[in-house]
Order: sequence, then C-alpha cells, then structure tokens
Amino acid sequence: MKWNSRIRCALVCLGFTVLFSLFSFRLVYLQMIKHEEYAGLAAEKHVYKQAIYAERGLILDANDEVLAHNTPVETVVADATHLNNRQSLIPLLRDALQIPAGELSDKLEGDRRYIILKRGVPEAVAIALKENLRAQNLRGIYFERDSTRVYPNGSMLCHVIGFTDFEHRGIQGVEASMEEYLHGQDGYRYIEHNRAGQEMVLYRGQERTPRNGYQVHLTIDLNLQNIVENEIDVAMREYTPQKATIILMRPRTGEVLAMANRPHFDLNLRSEAKPEQMKNRAVIDMMEPGSTFKIVAAAAALNEHKVRLDTTIFCENGLWNFGGRPLHDHKPYGDLSVRDILVKSSNIGAAKLAISIGDQRFYEYIRRFGFGERTGIELPGEIGGVIRPPQSWSKISITRIPMGHEVGVTPLQMISAMATIANGGKLVTPRVVKSITTEDGKTQSTFSPVVLRQVIAPETAAQIGNALLGVVSDRGTAAAAAVPGFTISGKTGTAQKVSPKGGYEQGKYIVSFIGYLPSDHPEFVGLVVLDDAHTATPELNYGGLVAGPIFSRVAEKAARYLDLEPHEELGKPPVAGRVALTNAPRH
Amino acid sequence: MHAPRRKAFNSVNAASLARWIVITAFLALTGLVYVYLTLQLYHLGEHKKALENELTSLRAQNNVASVQIAALTSRSAMQRRLKEGYLKMVPISERSIVRLSAPPHPLGEDAVQPVANKRAGR
Repeated sequence: MKWNSRIRCALVCLGFTVLFSLFSFRLVYLQMIKHEEYAGLAAEKHVYKQAIYAERGLILDANDEVLAHNTPVETVVADATHLNNRQSLIPLLRDALQIPAGELSDKLEGDRRYIILKRGVPEAVAIALKENLRAQNLRGIYFERDSTRVYPNGSMLCHVIGFTDFEHRGIQGVEASMEEYLHGQDGYRYIEHNRAGQEMVLYRGQERTPRNGYQVHLTIDLNLQNIVENEIDVAMREYTPQKATIILMRPRTGEVLAMANRPHFDLNLRSEAKPEQMKNRAVIDMMEPGSTFKIVAAAAALNEHKVRLDTTIFCENGLWNFGGRPLHDHKPYGDLSVRDILVKSSNIGAAKLAISIGDQRFYEYIRRFGFGERTGIELPGEIGGVIRPPQSWSKISITRIPMGHEVGVTPLQMISAMATIANGGKLVTPRVVKSITTEDGKTQSTFSPVVLRQVIAPETAAQIGNALLGVVSDRGTAAAAAVPGFTISGKTGTAQKVSPKGGYEQGKYIVSFIGYLPSDHPEFVGLVVLDDAHTATPELNYGGLVAGPIFSRVAEKAARYLDLEPHEELGKPPVAGRVALTNAPRH
Repeated sequence: MHAPRRKAFNSVNAASLARWIVITAFLALTGLVYVYLTLQLYHLGEHKKALENELTSLRAQNNVASVQIAALTSRSAMQRRLKEGYLKMVPISERSIVRLSAPPHPLGEDAVQPVANKRAGR
C-alpha cells in the first residue's frame, strides 16, 4: 500500500512535471523562438506608418504676388475593422460627404483597413463631421490632412503657371517644369493605435519631418501681365482671331515679363477646359513668321559685310522671276537701300540679301539666331520649330525663307531673335523662373541670364535696330505701332496661313508685330501675333495695321508702368487707328 | 524558572525587520511612482497630441485665411470690384510725376555709388 501510494505520488508529480515542462517549453517557444514573428504580427496589427505630407511650394511673380498656393482639405478614410455602428454611420457620411448611401455601404463592406471615402473635403466640413462622429460615438472614420492647389488669378497666366493632378504632381507649365523644387519631401512617423483606434503618443516610433516644397519666383510681372491680358482680350473681341499670343521680354536678361495666349482657361476649373485651350502657343505652336523673318536675312548680309545699310538693291519693280517662279512685292519698288528693304518690307530685296550670302551661310545664321532648336525656357512641351538644311531646299527656297516662308518657328523663338538685335547681337536664353527660395525666404538658387552666343556683331545689331526705327514711322509698314515719346524699332509680319492639308489657306493670315523700346536702350521687346484675325476687308489684314496698334497700346502702358522716361522732343506719332472690324461685337 | 519562560518568546530582530519594511516600502513606492509616471506620460502624450492637433488646426485656418486674402486681393477680384464700382482708380497726371534720372550703372560693385545724402560718406 505504502509503495503504491509512493508510486501514485511519484506519478502525480511526474504528471505535473511533464505538464509544467510542456507549458514552460511552450512559453519558451512563444517568447523566444517565435518572438520575432509574433512581435511583427502584433506590430502589424497596431503599428502604422503615418505619412506626414509636405506642402507644395508656392509660385510667386517677380513682385512676390502669389500665383499658386495651397488650401487645406482633408481626405476621409475608413478602417472597416474599427467600425462600431455602420447603420448610424452611413446616413451621417452621406449627408456630410455628399456620397450616395449605396456607394458608401459598398465601400464599407468587408474588413478592409484603408478605404478612401472622399478626397478634398473642405476643412469646415471635416470639422463638422468630426464633431458629429464624436457626439454619436462612432468609430472607424479617420481624417488625413491634405491640400489642394488654388490659383487666385484664375485664368491669368494660365499657360505659364500650369496645374497639378490629384496627387499634387505638376503636369503643365511651371508646375511641371519646377516639380522637383515645388514638390518637397514627405515625412513619416510610426505610431500605435489603441483598441479604440486612437493614437498612443507614448509609443511613437521613428519619425522623419517633412520638407515643404521650395517657392518658385517667376520673372513675370503681374502688372505687365495684366496689361497684356487686357489688350489680348480687346484684340480677341475686335478681330476674333482663332488664336493670339502676346509676349513681353527683357532683352538684356531674357526674362519673360508677360506671356498671354488665347484661347485660355481657368486654372481653378481646369477639368472643364478643352485641350485646345490648354496649349501654351508661345512655345508649342509653329507658324510661318512672314516678314518679321527679314531681320535675319538683313542681319546676316550686314554681318558678312556683303552690303552696307545704304547699299542699294534693285527690287525689280515688284516682280522677279527666280527659279521659274515669280516673287512679288506688295508694291513695285525700284532701287531700295538695305534700310528701306526692311522699312518697306520688300520680299525681293530680302531674297537678294539672302542670295548674296549663299544658302549655307544663310542657314547658319538662321540657326545662330536660335531657330530650329528649343530656346530652353523652363516651360514643358517646347518645340524647336522646323528649319530644313540647305540640302533639302528647293531652287526657290533661298528667296522664300528670307520672307518667312518654308520655315516653322515659335513665337518665343521670334521674340528671342528680335531680343538678340536689341541686345547688341547676343542671344540670351529666355526664362520665366527668377529664383528658388525656401518657405522662409532663404534663396536656394538664382537663375542668372545665360548668353548663348554672339550671333552678330554689336555694330550690325545697332545698324539693324537703326533701320527698324523706320518701320515705325510714316514711311514704314507699322506707323500705327508708335508710342508717343518713345523711339521704337520693330518689324511687321503678315503670313498666309499654312493649311494642315498642304498649301495655304485662302484669305487666312497670321499677322504679327515685334518691336522694342526705347530703341537706343531697349527695356523690353514685345511680340503680338494674331492667327486668322477678321477685318472688314482682307486688304486691311496686315501686321502693321492689326498687330501694330495692339503693340502700341501694350507698349505705352508697359512704358508707363516701368517708368521709362519719354522724350519730349519726339512729336506725337500718327494716330494709332484701329482697323475696321467685321461684325464682331464690340464690348 | 526564568530561563524556560524566556525560551517561549521568539526574539524579533528589529533592525532586520526595519530593513525589510524599508525595502518593501521602497519597492512599493517605486512601483507606485512607476505607475504614476507612466500614467503621467500617457497624459502628457494625450496633451501633446491635443496641442499638435490644435497647432495643425491653427495652421490650416491660417492657410485658409491666406487663400481667402489672396483670392480677394487678386488682380481679377480687384478688377471685378473696379467694374462693380467698389473701387475707383484715379490716373496720376503727368505733372504729378517727378522723375529722378537714374545714374549710369557702375562698372563694378566696388565703384563709388552716388548718394542723395551728402553726409552719407562721413
């Protein structure tokens, strides 16, 4: 008996020992061997990597006026595993977020832990919703701070500023080209939630603070932009052109002071804009420049010392057969000096200037002026235009290219070429970005003027500028472009519109005027281009008559704004008369 | 008679007892302090979170206000108000403008700068 009881005791003890050993083994197994795995699972359940979003940098004009900034909004998300009362939640969310109840119940079904219910909820709506959720003790709905881009000036400067997508990535304009500076760097923080879904601050883990985006300062002056926008609107009403572009640029630095295109769109209503309205025609539209291109032929011939400004060239009395094809002038001219070829805009004279230097040299000058390559401005989608090499020229190309045919250039290239003349022959890269600063104003980088090359000698540039003074006079083609008190060097252009099907469109013209003032010390260069302007009669549809007066009005206001001192001795110019309108209503 | 009676009592080592009491009290107090401090940490965490939320909310309100200011002072808004007659613009007459002829640009940064105040150099 005694032995049996001992055995029983021993067996019980053994049983307990085995049992506790098993427990101990399990404990060791869970706590030591499987520690990493289960700790990871636990962390996965409670630890979250919370993103801390960086704010996108602002875009400002040359006077630090805000062009694009951010307004706070919230993204409403749900964690289906934390929802405690779906029945009460759905009507509340439906009313606050304006989402149909059916859609909400579909979204909240299942046990997904991250459901985006709505983005871009205004701050006030989010605060009210939070209060209601708290009052009704509803759990599982979270708010993530976000922001949306706002453009206070609406459609003004829309093509230059551009816009962002819903993920805050720039997809057009400076928003796209300066993306790396504007975007900033998002931060993060590891946090733990309790059962109620609230963060336990005590258990905050690793954290990286976000770096907000840099501020981009443009060279654009909103005051000048406003002048340009108003005048382009007037031009659109008066002449109802299909497209229009006006650019103002500072020749010494290449800074674009104003740039406006029509048609345009409201940046705050970009989803409603048509693709045609979104194109920045100043950099992505190609056109035949017409007579404005004659400055290239004249500059090349003068720079090569083939002619002097007073050298006379016989202009064949208005009709010249070259290569079996006739070349006309709009008036019959006999002998014209090089100066008068520009002033009177003689096609035959310009053709003879180009012939005097030869195909290859002329082509080289065209390329040296920057045609056929992108200017390098900080705007996306810029095209280089089309300049064919002499090998693919026809027999008559040398007579057609000097008058701006058979070439495709952008308005920006054209104004850069004129800025080269104004700038003593130096081609400067046009630019729209002045500097990059941090949000507290520390300069991160400054964009200095980049002189690409000396295209022509300063003396040649001065000669061309001097000749172009005559264009804006009673003798020239653009008397209406004059500005009281200022000397202006400019050139008109009237080109028949190229048809996409080949050939030219009858009765459709691209009229333009490029000029700078004051002529002796140019402060700005201006370009006005109207595509298919409508005038009472086609005879009035000339650059000097349509684009010239627009330039005059823009330049006069710009000169006043820039406080350029007018010369009192300069008499009143001829009245900048407006060309008779079509039936376009005047507003 | 005295000796056996004495044996019936267990002697108490007061010093040792006191030591244990102190140690126990110290441990208990440490535990309590630990719990108290942990709770304080929780509360401070909650307070920190509340302050962070308040700060974020204030920043958001500030941003909203900035956006409103920018929208109301934007060029298009000003022009609208001008059209509506809330604002009036009076052109500055030519006689009221005093122009100072700008001095020529110095050759280098070290060049002598002309100043309006003749005493500036003293």
